Amino acid sequence: MNKKLLHIESSGQLCIYCGACVGVCPLNCIYLDETRITFDEKICTRCEICVKACPVGAIEIG
Amino acid sequence: MENLRTDVLVVGAGPAGSMTAKWAAKSGAQVVMIEKRQEIGSPVRCGEGISRSWLPEVGITPSSKWINVEVEGARIYAPNEQCLEINEKHAGNEVGFVVERDGFDKALAIDAANAGADVLLKTAALGVIKENGRVVGVKGKRFGEAFEIRAKVTIGADGFESQLGRWAGIPTNLALRDMDSCLQYRMTNVDCDVRYCDFYLGKVAPGGYVWIFPKAEGLANVGIGVQLSQITGMAEARKYLDAWIAHHPQYAKGKKIDMVGGGVSISPPLKQTVTDGLMLVGDAARMIDPLTGGGIANGCIAGKICGEYAAKAVELGTPTKEFFQGYEKAWRARLEEKLYRNWLAKEKLCSLSDETFNKVVDALQGVKLEKLTVHNILKAVREKYPDVTKEFAAFL
Repeated sequence: MNKKLLHIESSGQLCIYCGACVGVCPLNCIYLDETRITFDEKICTRCEICVKACPVGAIEIG
Repeated sequence: MENLRTDVLVVGAGPAGSMTAKWAAKSGAQVVMIEKRQEIGSPVRCGEGISRSWLPEVGITPSSKWINVEVEGARIYAPNEQCLEINEKHAGNEVGFVVERDGFDKALAIDAANAGADVLLKTAALGVIKENGRVVGVKGKRFGEAFEIRAKVTIGADGFESQLGRWAGIPTNLALRDMDSCLQYRMTNVDCDVRYCDFYLGKVAPGGYVWIFPKAEGLANVGIGVQLSQITGMAEARKYLDAWIAHHPQYAKGKKIDMVGGGVSISPPLKQTVTDGLMLVGDAARMIDPLTGGGIANGCIAGKICGEYAAKAVELGTPTKEFFQGYEKAWRARLEEKLYRNWLAKEKLCSLSDETFNKVVDALQGVKLEKLTVHNILKAVREKYPDVTKEFAAFL
């Protein structure tokens, strides 16, 4: 499967660590530490719901 | 690190968690509440407007320590900016105080601690421990080290991004139309009116609204929620909010001093909020009012019930799904009808054109409503715009 690249900008330049992406992920594959967001590349299906949910545009799929 | 055992484990120290911890402890259980952050209530992720009629029911005494402003009412703005003013007693009690949320959360946590609950900070749950199909605690990290806490009853009060329910096998997934993406600036040097919470409806915020909650003279929370099913690109919440502010000089001249975001569920009530060993409460249980997006009142009301049932389950040695049906029934009896009714109203509102919004607000000008119910509103609309009420036949 040729998956598109998902990029979560979680260094703080855009991300405000609000957890919206974590709550909307239907597969439960995004994790929020206090100042770090990670996601599980293997589980993620690139459904792009988190891209929409992010209020500041810190998640990109290309 | 030493592993712990307790009667009741509450995951998350927001209002619902603290309320659950407090009432479980007051009812005689040994309680541990864990919080992944280092500071309860911070960073704030909230518009900070709360109603006040429910506070006595759950034992919260209003305090100047966390109240910024006591508002008199709400103003609902149609897309043409005609406004409908609603006094607090007519507003379904959805306005009342604008609060300092971090102070509010800390006050509730102090109440919980004073009632006997232990609070562990920097302690994150990363999974549930299950034995024979029953949740018997969580594993996670405390100050970066692995730890386990075992409990007779585990409470998921872990907010919108709740994981506890999913780990335990309770479906809490939301459809796109059942979620709003929210963003808010705190702005100074704005012309806000400290007597009112303001709400702007229509296409300025598809499937949501723009809110202005005054914190003090010249200082306000200016925020937006937009429904995920009605937006397409990236950073839509920010784009819509920035566009709205740019069109309102009284706010465009302001300066942003803070920014918060988050997800809000606007869903019908979950079918299930308990399983063996575990109960969900607050935003984690999707108890947010789908019309207003407010979650604190419902979280606290359910939290009290949840805490009392948790303690009872410990006392009787029955932390089972069957026993927790008592909690399920009790919180639904108290909240579900309104949640469902407001979800239906929200579904309808999300589909209205700006023109219809304008007519509804216009029809209500000068109408004295005894109580602001959907039925009363529609009766008033029918008198002025009979054609519009056809859209609402199902509500009449």
